[in-house]
Order: sequence, then C-alpha cells, then structure tokens
Amino acid sequence: MSAELSSRSPAEQLCYVRLAVSQPQIAAAFATEILGLQHVPNELEPFLFRSDERYHTLCLADGTQRSSIGIEITDEPELDRVAKDLTRNGFSAREATTEECAKRFVRRALIVEDATGNEIDLVLRPARSGRRYFPSRDAGITGLQGVGLCSTAIKDDLELWTAILGARVTDRVGEVTYLGIDQKHHRVVLYPSDRAGLVYVSYDVESLDAVMQNNYFVQERQIKIVHGPGREPASGQIFLRFAGPEGYVFSYGYGLRDIDARHRPQQFTLEASSLCEWGSECTDIAELQATEAR
Amino acid sequence: MIELKDLSYVRLGASSLEDAESFATECLGLQVGEQSGKALYLRSDDRAHTLCYFEGDPADQTVGFEVEDESKLGGAAATLDQLGHPVHAGTPTECALRKVKAFIGFKDPTGNQIELVVRPERSGKRYFASRNAGITGFSHVGLSTTNPTRDEQFWTQVCNARVSDRIGDIALMRVNAIHHTIALAPGRGPGIHHVNHQVESNDDVLRSYYHLSDQRVPIVFGPGRHPTSGARFLYFKGPDGMVFEYSVGVDEIEDEATHRPRQFGFEPTSLCMWGSRSAGMPLPKS
Repeated sequence: MSAELSSRSPAEQLCYVRLAVSQPQIAAAFATEILGLQHVPNELEPFLFRSDERYHTLCLADGTQRSSIGIEITDEPELDRVAKDLTRNGFSAREATTEECAKRFVRRALIVEDATGNEIDLVLRPARSGRRYFPSRDAGITGLQGVGLCSTAIKDDLELWTAILGARVTDRVGEVTYLGIDQKHHRVVLYPSDRAGLVYVSYDVESLDAVMQNNYFVQERQIKIVHGPGREPASGQIFLRFAGPEGYVFSYGYGLRDIDARHRPQQFTLEASSLCEWGSECTDIAELQATEAR
Repeated sequence: MIELKDLSYVRLGASSLEDAESFATECLGLQVGEQSGKALYLRSDDRAHTLCYFEGDPADQTVGFEVEDESKLGGAAATLDQLGHPVHAGTPTECALRKVKAFIGFKDPTGNQIELVVRPERSGKRYFASRNAGITGFSHVGLSTTNPTRDEQFWTQVCNARVSDRIGDIALMRVNAIHHTIALAPGRGPGIHHVNHQVESNDDVLRSYYHLSDQRVPIVFGPGRHPTSGARFLYFKGPDGMVFEYSVGVDEIEDEATHRPRQFGFEPTSLCMWGSRSAGMPLPKS
C-alpha cells in the first residue's frame, strides 16, 4: 500500500520558505552573515536567498504578508486533482495570482491553508538557477532541508499531508509527527502547539564538523542556541537550532537518514531524550519541550 | 634504543580514594577491578587495570609503558644508566602493586616518573563499564614538558617514539600506528597533563558532554575536534584537578616510511578545528 502511495504521491519537494518580517534589512543581514545563504539579485523580491541549485529557498517577505512554505507538485493534472480533493475536504485553497506566482518564482500555485491556519503554497515548476551556489560564508550548507510546523489540529493537518498530498508518517514522538515526501526520513515535522507558524527552518550541512563549527560560530556571536547541538533519535540527524530575527528559529542539520519502503512508524515517548539522544534540552520553544499540550 | 610496545597504566596519588572511586565510576565510567584499603584499580578494557589511584600525594604521578621482555628491560636499564638517568628496579612488593612481573622506574628529562614494565596482567573477565560512556580503552597521556625539543629527543632517540605532528614545538608522538600515545604539553614542572580514554563514537563524546555538565563536572575543553589526529574530543576535570579526555577517531599512521610530521602553529585552531577554546587548562589561548 505504501509503495503505491509513494508512486502516486503528488508532493515532490519542499522548495522554499517565505518568512514575513517587519525589518527585512536586519533579517537579510542575518541570512547572509550568520546563516551563510547567498543573496539573489532580481526584479521582484529584494530579499531573496539561495542555498543550493534552486533559484531561491528563502524569501523575506514584508510584514503585511503571511509566512508560507512551498511544496512542489508533480504536474498540472496532479495539481488539479489536489485542488478538487482540498475543496471536497473543506480546506481553503485558491489560485495564486500572476503576480503572486512571479514573486514565488513558480509557474502556477494553489495557496492553501491547513487546519491550523498555516499557509502552504502548492506549486508547479519552481525555478532552478543556471548558476552554481556560492555561499556568503563557509557554513557548509548543502541545501534547504525541511521545516517544523506548528499544529493545533494534528489529525486534520495529517489528513491534508497524507491523504491529499501523499506524505507518509515516518515516526512519532508523542504526537510530534515526522512526515516524509521523498527518500529522506522527513521534510516536514508537525509539532502540537497552540498557534500557527513555523517551529524552525532547517538547512542541511555537509558534515558533523560543519554543525559543530557553526555551533561555536553562533556562540561567539552571542546568538542563542535553543536546542542542541544534538542528535534526533527518529531521523539520526545531528542538529543545531538557534534563534534568528523576529522569533524565527533556524537549524543546521547533518545525517538525516534515508527511509526505506518497509519502514513502519515508531512511537517514541514524549520526553527530551526522544528529541535529542545526546541530552540537549530546549527551554525556550514550547513545541520542542517534550511536554504534553498546554 | 628502548622499545616501548604499549602504554600500560597511569598511577595517581589521591587525596581521597572515596572521591576518586566515585568520579572514576559515576563520571568517567571505568570498572573497579580491585580495591584494597589503600589502592583502587580501575579497568577500561581487557587489561587487569589501566588506572590506579593510591592514597597519597596527588603530585605523585607515574606513567607505565610495556616493553617486550626482561632481557629488553635489562637493556633499557643499562641504556638509561649510561645516560645518567638513575634507575630503580621494582621490588617484588612494588611489582605486585602494579600487577606486573618486573619493572624499572626512572625520570624523563622534565622529571616525569616513568616505569617500564614486563608482563602486565590481563584479566580473564570481560570489561564491563560502570556507566554508558562507551569507553573502549585507555589510549594515551599528555605529559608535561619544561623543554619540548629536549624531551622530543629523549622520546625519539633514547626510546622508539616517532613524531606524528607538532603544534609549535610540542610533539605528538606514536609508538605504534596510533597517531599519538604521548602528547607533550608545555608546563612549569613534571606532571601528567591529561589521561585519555577512547570511546566508541561521536555520539559518546557528545552524550558525555551533556551528562558530565549535568553532573557539574568542569568541562575544560571541547566538545571539539583535533586537526592533528582528527579525533573528536572532550576534556574534563577529575579529582585533585587531573584532566581526563574522551576521544574517538584518532587517525592511524599507516606508512611509517613516508609519513612526515606536519607543523601546526601554536594557536587555538591547531587544537580544535571546530572552534572550542580551552578553559582552566594550560594550552595556547588566542
């Protein structure tokens, strides 16, 4: 059953994150000087950044807009089918305008709201860059890896992700749910919460050395590390989660496992050691605190 | 030339054997091999002991190396004698305390107490750790030196050590394929700089970082990675201020014939390529 599902799965990849910010200059400086992303000069979005071969993976949108994540859908027929499924299941979905598509560097998009109120762009033909990625600093970034999403309605949000978008649940920690859409353990993690929003935006780095070098790099600059350096038992990834501007949390990760077709989701107990097997604990971010819902 | 086969043990005077035992088991994770009123024998692998704490002056520290046999031991004694290093032949009682068949004791040029031993005991029982630290065995020591160039000469010309790399004038020396068994460290007098145990994985190094921090054990350096040996490490303080190290992934020097020691500048990034800085341990500061 799961093999069939993955061959029909319309979701191809997490292609970008748009973060609504009120002070984009400060956030942009963080994106290049701290994170190490490459700024993309263009006509449409002043604060656009790359991390890999894609045209962009991060856009700092002005504060009047909403944050969103972009998920590429296989093709037009799939997107049409998804649009119908969404409507039938009571999810809000509208076609993006020409301007909205241009600013997302995609050919067509459905702007969807999940049950929690997070905005998810389901997109066709996201742009690739013709040029090699050249980072702003040697952080060892290899690409946009994944996001953590707040969920106030896990069951309903899962309906969207699994039944409509074809993602699979790979593991759980309490009700924290890891979702895979390709060969990697996860690209999206749903965290029980009392609000909508992103828990973190995660970038892949090339090695343990890179995670640890970044650990000392951010410490030296008085940037708050909110979780880690640590190792996530479910996925095997080594991570470092730290505070960015305006309450956004960024993460570097290395060693995210591949998942095979026969893997059955495992249930981890809801405690700190299920989120980090090395022993790090998160004190600031409610969703990462491994306690029952408030 | 004195042929050192392997590192055998470290003997440390302890101001409180009780504190030493509690640290060695609950923090370090070694196994108590044997305990008498005055001495504590700790295991880290299949040897009968690799660390011995005895009731005494914490400044009384000794490093033991194994040599091939009693005839080689005699040869070593003669060599040292000729060079003007007074040699003490271990008495039967002293041998029993060290669980060896025979040994000689002398001081290296800095004044560190060194013993060369023959037939150190192994245990019949499998090593079983006191805590889940992932220790695979006692691996190397840092030795203080008041003159790095002079001491490097001693270890490489009187003994069979080879320089694997240098940080400033400080030599990291091997007696087998393992990148280093003796690491010199600048000091004002003799003393063991640190005692290293190998652990199984990076995970073990990082888990110990959190575990020891929770136990309020002072972390003096790391978690980090040495650019010289490639090993991921953590240094922390034990009883009477002795520094212990966990590390994993020490490089091996495969080709004796062609390896040339690399020269690293005497600065923090030569000791840790991740960016950690030492605190409360004599090492280059920025």
